[in-house]
Parts: sequence; structure tokens; C-alpha cells
Amino acid sequence: MSGGIVLNWLASTPDFAVPYALAALGLIISERAGVLSLGAEGLMLVGALAGIGAQIAMGQPAVSLVLAMLAASAVSLLFAAMVIWLRVNQVIAGLALVFFCQGLTALVGSLAEWTNHATEGIGAMGLWPLSLLPGAGRLFEQNAMVWLTPPIFLAVAWFFSRTSAGLRLRAVGENPQAADAAGIRVSMWRLAAVLAGSALVGLAGAYISVVSTKLWIAGMTGGRGWIAVGLVIFARWSPWKALAGALLFGCIEALIPQLAAAGVQLPQYFVMMTPYAVTLGVMVWVALSRRGADEEPGALGQPYVREERR
Amino acid sequence: MVDATLAAIAQPAQTDPDAAHRARRQPLARRRYALEIRQHMGWRQQALILAAALLAGLAISAAILVAAGVPANELANEFVMQTFFDGQNFRAVLFQAAPMILVGLAGSLAFRARFWNLGLEGQMIWGAIGATAVSMWQIGPEPLRLPLMFAAAIGCGLLWVLGPAWLKIRLGVNEIISTLMLNYMAANFLLHLVYGGWKDPKDNFPYSPQFRVFERLPELGAGVSSAIVLAAVVALFAWWLVGVSRAGLYLRFVDANPRVAHANGVPVRRTIYGAVLLSGAMAGLAGLAVAAGQEGRLTQAFYQGYGFSGILIAFLARNNPLAATVVALLVAALFVTGRSLQVFYQVPFSMVQLIQAIIVVCVAASDFFIRHRLRRVGGEALQ
Repeated sequence: MSGGIVLNWLASTPDFAVPYALAALGLIISERAGVLSLGAEGLMLVGALAGIGAQIAMGQPAVSLVLAMLAASAVSLLFAAMVIWLRVNQVIAGLALVFFCQGLTALVGSLAEWTNHATEGIGAMGLWPLSLLPGAGRLFEQNAMVWLTPPIFLAVAWFFSRTSAGLRLRAVGENPQAADAAGIRVSMWRLAAVLAGSALVGLAGAYISVVSTKLWIAGMTGGRGWIAVGLVIFARWSPWKALAGALLFGCIEALIPQLAAAGVQLPQYFVMMTPYAVTLGVMVWVALSRRGADEEPGALGQPYVREERR
Repeated sequence: MVDATLAAIAQPAQTDPDAAHRARRQPLARRRYALEIRQHMGWRQQALILAAALLAGLAISAAILVAAGVPANELANEFVMQTFFDGQNFRAVLFQAAPMILVGLAGSLAFRARFWNLGLEGQMIWGAIGATAVSMWQIGPEPLRLPLMFAAAIGCGLLWVLGPAWLKIRLGVNEIISTLMLNYMAANFLLHLVYGGWKDPKDNFPYSPQFRVFERLPELGAGVSSAIVLAAVVALFAWWLVGVSRAGLYLRFVDANPRVAHANGVPVRRTIYGAVLLSGAMAGLAGLAVAAGQEGRLTQAFYQGYGFSGILIAFLARNNPLAATVVALLVAALFVTGRSLQVFYQVPFSMVQLIQAIIVVCVAASDFFIRHRLRRVGGEALQ
């Protein structure tokens, strides 16, 4: 591999890493509050479709991304109602949400005729002065969302570790009985966590459609939501580790088109399998390393019912 | 409040007439309700709640269909009359039902062992690939060919779920993620085959060459394929397995409480392995039912929608094999109706998935009313 290819590869990595990073961060927020959010794949699709819809209607990328976040949050209300108030098994509710969103987005996308409708996207922004570097300057020519992602992570990490609200949210996921006894409203915090987390997952989906591919295709997230669920386990519910993991996955995914461009002859469909295979490998590695079990939020996946004897 | 509720849970039958009277005099805004866990509920009431949930789901679905451009007065005709009382359509439902029943059974068997097998589609793909391999490489003499295809489909489906099962039981790897990842990998491998070495040389389309006549599931006459008989036999076997056999009893132990089952000498690991591997085998058979029963070849997207439907069928049937068979017939009817809606009203086929999801949501939510009751609490009792 020549230097030019390595540069190209590294320069295209963030574009692939951002959806994983944002989706994993959104999942961390809701899982820290004890809600197992398996619906990421579906919410990403909602975000992707809403983003493209707004983009076609208005053409303002910033507005489209915000609307996509709102749309994903709105749909996640359904999930929140099921798991927080109706105490539905969180696995069933999460799966139902994914299938609901897959059906809904495919339907709306084709009825509104948004499929394969190319949009503008957003341009690259150079990170001055680093983007002026000879050669390596290209690494710092990324779109605005890439530059926004680390601050978002910083804000969430700071929220969890440095604010009393973050402490409350973690307490709700760790030991809801104790949190309830301390006067923290468990249902409200869980609802807030699901809504905020879903907004980020929706943003991840909208990034894929509005910024990356610039069009909508039914089912375009292709399992990235599930990969993000695995990534959260790999990152042990820590935002910074999730960002590192997302970069790793972004690297792997960015390698695929680069290899093709370099003329490396690999069977195409085996190459397409790599993100899934790596996810599987990462899950096995986490299990083998026997750590992470103590990092898991204590009440993850359990509905909280006051006064219920377990 | 705590005492009142606990007392109510301890003695659900006792209601204080005074309290009820006091509560009735409360203005609406000050009325308080307590949520209680129901210990159990009669099956009639349960059936009523389930029926109400299904009706709600169907009503929402009907509203969406009308919004999507299906004339309201055509709905009942399209869904009920056309599907069940038109011979040709009913045959189409049976045709569609065979793989549906098989994936529904596969789902219910795995869920009985508390194993979220979301890899039904991957196992289906591998079942079809196994059967196609036997046909492609002409393994075995003519009369043995179909039995060998069966064996290959069962074996491949089973092997594809073996990994996640082992990872879950030995290492505690979350099976939801592992089975789903294997789905995506299987789907890509299928594309690798049909766009590569297994492409039909006759017309260069991305599907395998046609199976020969003796490699296909025979017709029984009247346009009914033997695939439905196969599905019925497997359903009876599953019913015997979970309802009659010793293994089924073990499964019930494991489902209720794995640790207690283990303490009582139930071979927990073997039971889980058995159920999960059988689940994979049935999904593999579903792949064969599509490839050798419907398409007569390996195609690139034959599996789509089956994984979700299998989970939905198992969930609605509460993992009961006979109920799963009935639900699978209804889901097959929904598929057939969905296709005709696509043709006549240009409603996208994704509508079918949306309707299924809505029904799941409604039924899952209705469970709450089976397990809880709202009781009005008197105002003074709260102070």
C-alpha cells in the first residue's frame, strides 16, 4: 500500500465512524438508566428517513438533522411507553420497535417517493490551521458533523461523571429501588434517558442518509444499529471507549472501498461481511476477557415496579 | 399507601365497601388509583383481552391501509373473503404457510429455552444452500436425492445456530447480537453464491439453476404442495416434543428457572442445546420448503421477512406449537393479501411488516392488563 492510499483511508475513516459513535452514545445514555434499547436499528432508519425527507422538502442540512432527532425521539415514545409504564419485556419491545420502524420507513419512503432521490449533503470544513499541512492536511477536511461529534461525547461524558443529574441517571440504572427511596423519579429519568438517547441514535441515522450517502434506500442502515448495540457492550457503557470502538469500526469499514480502489482482488461479499464478523469477534473477546460484567448497569433490562417483591 | 397496597395484594378478594363508597364521593381530580399485580386471571378474561388487543391492532392497521389508498369498503372483502373463501387464494395461503409454520415452530422452540434465536433467516438461508448444494453437485442417486437434500438442509441450519448456542452457554455471549450478525453474514454468502459460482448458466440471472423434478417437493394434486404436509408433520412432532415427551418437561423446568432446574438434576445445558439446535434445524427446513417447494431454485432474497414473522408467530402463540401453526396460517394469509394489495392498490409490501409490528405492540401492551389491575383507592386511606 502506498502512502496516498493510507491517507485516503484515514481521511475517509471519520465518515464511517460517526454513525457508530453517535448511535453507541445514544444507547449508552438509555442503558445507563437501565433501559435496554435494542431498537437502535429501527430508530436509525427513522432518523435516516426523516432527515432525507426534511432535506428534500427544505434543503437545510442543520434543520434536517434536528428534525431527524425529533422524529426518532417521537417514535421512541412508543418504546418508552411499553417498557416504562406497561412493563413489557424490553427485548420484545425493542424488537417490535425495530420491525415497526423498518415497516414504517419503507412504507413512508416509497409512498412519499423519497427513495433514491439524491440530495445536496453538507460540504467539508477544514480544521484551520491543521488542514493547511502539506499532504496530511486532507485528514482535517471533514464535514461539520465530524467536528461536532467529539464535543457531543465530551458533553455526555461530563454529564455522567461531573453533574448530579448524571449521577441520578446512573443511580436509576444501577439500583432503582435505592434511587426511588432517595426521591429520584425513576420513570421520569428513564423516559428522559430513552428520549435523549433515541435522539442521538436518530442523528446517527440521519448522518448516514443526509451527510454520507445523500439519499434514502429502504433498510439502508444495514445492521449498523445492531453493531452499535454490540459496540456498547464492547465499550462497557463508557462513552470514550465507545468512541474508540467506533473509530475502529470506521477504520474497518473505510478499508473496504480503499482496497477495491487499490485493485486488491477480494471476493466482494466476503469483504461486506467484515463489519459483522468483527462485531462477533469483539463480543467473543469481551466474553473471554471476563471483564465488563461489573460495568453493566445493575438493573439493565429490568422494569422497575415500586413495592413489587422480586 | 404501602400498607394498603400490600394488604390488597395479600388479599385481593377483600374489598372494603366503605372505601369504595368514599372513593365514589371523591371529585375526579382527587381520585387515586393503585396498581396491583394480579396473581392469575381466568382464561376467558385473558382471551377477551387478547381479542381486544388484536382488534385494536387490526383497527389501526386498517386505518393505515385506508390512508395508504385502499378503499375502506374493499378491506373486509380483500382480507377475509378473497383470502379464505376463494379456492385459488386459499391454496396460495397454504403454499405460503409451509415455511411460515416451520419458522414459527423454530422460533417457539428456541424461545422455550430462553434463547433469543433471531438468526432464523440465516439458518433458513443455510438450509436452502445445503439443499441446493446437493442438487448442484448431484449427490446421491435419483430416489435418494430429496432425502439427502432434507438432511443437508437440517444439518446446515443446525450448524449455523451451533456457534451462537455454544457462545451463549459457554461464554455468556449475548445471542441476540451473535445470531443477527450471522444473519447478515449468511445473506452476504448467499449473494456470493448466486452472483458467483452458482449463477444460472442458462440466462445468467442471479439465481441457481432450476432443480430437477425429483429434487422438488412433489405436488399432492389440487395444486397443494407436499410442503404443507411436511410443516404439519413437524408441527405434530414439536407438539409431542414440548407437550408429551420428557424433553418437553425438562424444557418447561429450564424455562421457569434454570438454576432450580439444575439443582433438581435436569440436564439444563443439554436441554438448551437440544431446543436451540432443533430450532436451527427447523429453520433450515423452512429454507428447503421455499427453495424446493416454492421457487424450485436458490434465489437471492427468498428469506426476507421470515425471521421477523417467525418471532412474531412464536410470540403470539406463546411458544405453543399448535397455536403457532394456526397463527402462521394467519400470517401467511396476511402475506398473500399484502401481495394482492401491492398489485391492485400499489401498497408497498412493507405494509405487511408494519401491520405485523403493530399487532405485536398491541398484544405485548395488552399483557399489562392481564398481569395488573387498577383499583381505586379511597381518599382517606392515603393520608
